[in-house]
This record gives sequence, C-alpha cells and structure tokens, in this order.
Amino acid sequence: MSSPQTEEKMVLKLSQALNALLSKEGNKSITIMEVCGTHTVSIFRHGIKSLLHQSFKLISGPGCPVCVTDQSEIDAAISIAEREDSIVTTYGDMLKVPGSWSSLQECRAGGKSVKVITSVAQALDIARENQDKKVVFLGVGFETTAPATAAALIEAKKEKLDNFLVFCMHKTVPPALEALASSEEVSLDGFLLPGHVSVIIGLEPYRFIPEKYGKACAIAGFEPFEIMAGLLEITKQIIKKEPTVKSMYPRAVRPEGNLTAQNLLNQVFEPCNAHWRGLGEIPLSGYRLKPEFEVHDASVRLEIKEYASSPPPGCRCGDVLKGLISPIECPLFGNPCNPMHPVGPCMVSSEGSCAAQYKYDRRR
Amino acid sequence: MEKLNIGHGSGGRLTSEIIFQILQPFRKENVSPYLEDCAIVDGNIAITIDGYTISPRSFPGGNIGELAICGSVNDLAMRGAKPNFIAMGLIAEEGLAKDELLSYMESAAKVCSELSIQLVTGDTKVLPKGQVDGLYITTCAIGTPPSNRDPLGMHLITPGDVLIVTTEIGQHEATIAALRYGLSVPSLQSDCAPLWPLVEQIIEMDGIKCMRDCTRGGLGTVLCEWAESTSLGIEIEESKIPISNEVSSLCDILGFDPLYLACEGCAIIAVAPETSEKVLSVLKAHKLGEKAQIIGKVTEEHKGYVGMNTKAGGRRLIDMPVGEMLPRIC
Amino acid sequence: MCLAVPHKIIKMLDKNRAIASAGPVEVEIRTDIVPDLAIGDMVLVHAGFAIEKLVGTEGEEICTLWEELREVMENENVFPSN
Ligand code: SF4
Repeated sequence: MSSPQTEEKMVLKLSQALNALLSKEGNKSITIMEVCGTHTVSIFRHGIKSLLHQSFKLISGPGCPVCVTDQSEIDAAISIAEREDSIVTTYGDMLKVPGSWSSLQECRAGGKSVKVITSVAQALDIARENQDKKVVFLGVGFETTAPATAAALIEAKKEKLDNFLVFCMHKTVPPALEALASSEEVSLDGFLLPGHVSVIIGLEPYRFIPEKYGKACAIAGFEPFEIMAGLLEITKQIIKKEPTVKSMYPRAVRPEGNLTAQNLLNQVFEPCNAHWRGLGEIPLSGYRLKPEFEVHDASVRLEIKEYASSPPPGCRCGDVLKGLISPIECPLFGNPCNPMHPVGPCMVSSEGSCAAQYKYDRRR
Repeated sequence: MEKLNIGHGSGGRLTSEIIFQILQPFRKENVSPYLEDCAIVDGNIAITIDGYTISPRSFPGGNIGELAICGSVNDLAMRGAKPNFIAMGLIAEEGLAKDELLSYMESAAKVCSELSIQLVTGDTKVLPKGQVDGLYITTCAIGTPPSNRDPLGMHLITPGDVLIVTTEIGQHEATIAALRYGLSVPSLQSDCAPLWPLVEQIIEMDGIKCMRDCTRGGLGTVLCEWAESTSLGIEIEESKIPISNEVSSLCDILGFDPLYLACEGCAIIAVAPETSEKVLSVLKAHKLGEKAQIIGKVTEEHKGYVGMNTKAGGRRLIDMPVGEMLPRIC
Repeated sequence: MCLAVPHKIIKMLDKNRAIASAGPVEVEIRTDIVPDLAIGDMVLVHAGFAIEKLVGTEGEEICTLWEELREVMENENVFPSN
C-alpha cells in the first residue's frame, strides 16, 4: 500500500488505523498527555479529538510557558512594569495574564512602558535606543526559547549594554515530566513529547521515562498528520508493551539535539529549582543567569523581592496542568471564568488548556 | 477602577459588552429604539457613521482617507443602500504634514468620484501635539435603501440559507500586522475597497437575506454574531474559505487565526439555497468577487453556535475572539 | 509551547543574521543557534531565531512516517480502508 499523497488522507488513514487498533484491544482505555501547549492548540484547532474513539483520552499537560509561570513571578513582572525607570519587553503571550493586582496589559493601558516584541533581538535594539532606561526582557519559555535569550545575553555582555536586563523565568521540560511520570495522583500511559523542545535537547533526556517509569513516548511535529502519527506510535508501544522514545518528527529533530544551542544554554544559564504553577517546586527545573551575567540579571539589579503570591482563589489550573481534571470539571469554567474575564492563566494564554477548551470545544 | 483597554475596541466580545453599556442610558430614556451599523430612518434614508484611526496611516493597498470612505460606504452597502452623500470630520495633530493630509483627501475624493458620492459637509480640528496620534477621520454616509424590497437583516436568515464569502479573508489586518511586526510581504495588500459596485450587481436578485462586511474581528466574529442573534446554528467548511498564501503564512508565523482578521473589502452574504449558485456566479463575474466562495450554511443544529469542519477532517467550534490579537511564541 | 515555522534562507546578512522567507513572507532572523547556513537552506524559526535546519520536505516526511507505521498496521492487520 503506497503512502497517501496528501496530508488530509494521511490523517484520516492514521486515525482509522488507530481506532481499529483500539477496537482490537477491546477499546481499553488509554490516557496520553500532550505535554506541549502548541500541540493542545493544534489538536483543538484541527478537531483531532473528534476523529478518535472515546476510549482514547488525550489530556493537556504543563506545556504552556505562560500557564506554568508561578503567580509570584507574574506579580514580580508586573512590579517591574510599574517602575518609572524601566521598559518591559515581552512576547505577546504574557500581556493579558492576571497578576494578583494588575496585568501587563493594564499597566500598558495606565501609560506604563510595556512593549510587545516577537524576538529578543528587538529588545536589544530597544535597549540600544534607550540607554537612560532599564530595558527588561521577560524570559519565559522552555528549552526552545531559552537559547535565543542566551544569545542576546552574550551579545549584550560583549557590547557592554548594561541597561539590557533579563528577568529569567525559563524552565526545562524533563524534570517536569519526571514529576508527572512519578506522580501517584496522575496515571498516564504515555507522553506525546514536544517537537520543538526536542529539536534543542534531542532524545536522550527523555530516556528515563520508558526506562524508569515504563511509559510510552513519541516526539511529534505540529501538523495534524504528525500529531496523528505520534499518537499511533504511542498506542503501538502501549499495546505491544514496548515503551521507548521515538521521534516522529525526523525533519527537525536530531537524536542528539542542537548542540550549538545546548552550548549557548550552558554558557549563560545554570539550573535552579523552580516553582511551577500547579506542580509546585521542582528541583533543577529552571534556569538562572550564571554569576558572570549578573549585570544583566533583573532580579539582582532591580532587587526584585519574592512575592508570596497565591493562585487565584478557586482556580484549578494546577489540577488542569497535571491532567487531573479536564477544564470543564473546574466549577469556575465558563462562569465566571472565560476568556473575557479569566480567573486563572490557563484561560488567558491562547494555548492554555482552559482557553482552548472554551474556544474550540465548550459544548461537550 | 475599571479602565478601557485595547480589547474593548477590537471587535469581539469585549466590544459587544462595552457597546451594550454605552447604549444603556439611551435605552433607559427610550431614545434609542435599535442600533445597527447602518440605520434606515424615515423609510427611505440609510445612514451610518464611523471613526477611522490606523497606524500606519498609509499601507499597501490604501490609506486612512480611502479607508474612511470605503468603511462607511460599505456599512450602507451591507443594508443594500446606495451611497449618495458623505459628511466628514477631521481631527488632526499639530505638526502633521499638510501634504500628507491632502494626499489622503485625494484618495478619498477618488473613491467618491468613482461612486458618484458628494461630500456635503465637514469639520476640521487641529489639536496640540500629543493629544491625537496624527489624524483621526470620522465619516457619516447617507444613502438610499432599495425601494422594492425589505431592508436586509439578520431577521431574514432561516435554516438552509447558504453563506457566501465575497473574497479572500484577512487581507487588511494581515497587511497592517506585517508592517507593525516587521515582516515584509511584498505581495500582500489590504483589500480596502468600496463594496457598493459589487452589491449593486446582486441587490435586485431574489433570496438575498443578509450581508455584513467582515471588519473588526473578521469573518469569525460576524458568524458568531449571526449564530447568537438568530439562535440558529452555522456550519462552515475550512477548506472552502478563500484565503491567500500571504495571509496564511503570516498567520502561521505570528500565531494568528485568519478567521478573526479584519477585512475592508470582504463581505459575507446569507442567501436562500435556491438562488445561491446564481448569486455566486454573478459575484464571480465582478472584479471584487472573483474569489467568492460558498463556505457553509445555516442549520437548525447546534443553535447559537458556529461549527467548522476542519481541513484535517475534524470538527471544532468557532468562538468570538477576545480582545486584541497578539503575536505569540507559543 | 513553542510555535516554530519553516523558513527558507534567502540572504545571509552577517554571521548571525539572515533574511528568510516563509512562503511570500520575508523576515530578518537570527542564526546564532544554527551555524553554517547557506542560501536555500530550510530552517525552523522560533521567536525570530532559527533553531534547526530541516532535512527533507513535508512530503518526504509523510512517506517516512507512513513506512514507519505501515509495519504496525500490517502486523496488527488494521489497515485503514481506502
Ligand atoms: S477554568 Fe478558569 S478558574 Fe478553572 S482552572 Fe481554568 S483558568 Fe482556572
């Protein structure tokens, strides 16, 4: 049988095969976590769940950098925006997240300097043009995004661009997966692993998942056919009881990852414990700037205090991020929490599980 | 204290909410029966008003002057009304180059002349530097509704009606977003155009029920409003929606959903099924409607919601966007 | 988690900067993370930075993945209908 010519046919055929496989197994229930928020959005946007048998459960994981950013970090970022001597530069994703008393968007509406950028290189330009201000870049994101921050820091250091500061909230994925895989609360059969994080870190850092925890893993790209291929691969591993880490994104992912990027990360950052919304503190799951880069470290230069902020009352983002409940099971879902009046971050970020569920599938 | 934010002006839900609140005092005093983008008063006068602000003021495919005429003309055209007169108010910032202002007026005049519209009254204010961002234009357009038929409107929509989009979606806002976020798309242009010449071709035809130009909030927002206001379901096919390569690539890069991008020369039309093919072929014969497509239909299922069959073969819900669309990295 | 889109390198500006195109869209990108690029290379771009060189096309990937999964389908006899 020759390969299907079009993507659409590929999606359809793979989903038929997957459903057939499930039915051969008596439709036993399988639960897979899609770790990455971009997968979550793609799955909803393309209506992929509607193609799969109900016994196949896909739950969303902690892969939205905005959603897992701890309330205390959001509050700290807002406190930076409220200063008169600074310009905050941020990816658009962070703008609407509600902090304890405000949001970056509200700061901007109140006349504070908050600039949306699409690349950290633009933050460098802004720093060059505004030498009298501290230009603070909000470093959010995982291994995919952190190398760009690292490259910018190296450039700033070389140029002695001392008014370029980074408020570093970068996090790393494998420790969070370990927390989920070892959790007694959450029971998962496998992980659909994030394609673009894997581009940077390669396959090795995930090996412990099948080896230590016996869970199936496939790395996938973001086109519907790639996601479907990933899901079929995971299902195969589960049914054959041969868990491993397999890349279904050969176009982009090298087994060893991107060594230049890894090298940049090592030059600039060192691992530190980090707070994840919902998952709590996970050892060595965050990046902080190495001492050599202290002049660019916003938390040092601006003496940012630790905010003892608690998550919004009633919001169950934490449980959603762990896959313990689906967003609709949160009593606040829809009313009062909806994208217009978000209570928690999962309803804000367009790839947050609650927002995705509300936008694309709230009638279930 | 609750403050207005950009989202309140982006179309979509926050905008609906604030408009509702703005109208509340008028409703209380019984001095606002019903408000539409374009009102028909005294039986034979169609009237609309709109404010225009855009940054940058000049963009591939148009400028603020042209936009200010097209926008208001289109509001009339969507009720089937032929535009006759324009009133224009200018609010300019001290320091704006005179030549620049005049060049916008030339573009505006050109559109008026093409459509035989007269500029009948106006107002010009100049404010101290910093109080306005360059130039704001308000236009009020007055026209004649069709005499031999009911004014078009959502109340005519019934299950089974077919939905036609007149051209590729999202061109205008994509053009602006490209400029704003430093992407160069040489072949991308705003679709800014007066729709009356296109509407004129079909307005006498049977079966035309309701038309809307997909401005702020885009096609997705219009469909949601239709579904919510009529309490009927809407069903569309992703693969049928006309969209240019330029817009879809740009959306991939910035993480935008093209369904919510504003258009300035694109309309969605609800037509009775019997005449839909005929209407489509008339539209396609006109320059502004060459890329028109039937994208879906009105149904009795999933009342109040818009459902879409995706290209990948799945199904999903279309919801109203909330607030400003921001480029995202994730 | 991380939106990244394939781009083609159309011009190298200096060691760390290039102009790349995604379909009809052209944009300046940084190439710090992917050394040794040349005009014509396809890269994945995330947040304005190239993060990896792509090998092969989407079409080729469809074939590879299909071959990969074909074995499962054959062994399990779960070939989809045509
Ligand atoms: S629905 Fe709202 S309140 Fe509930 S978990 Fe999601 S974001 Fe939090």
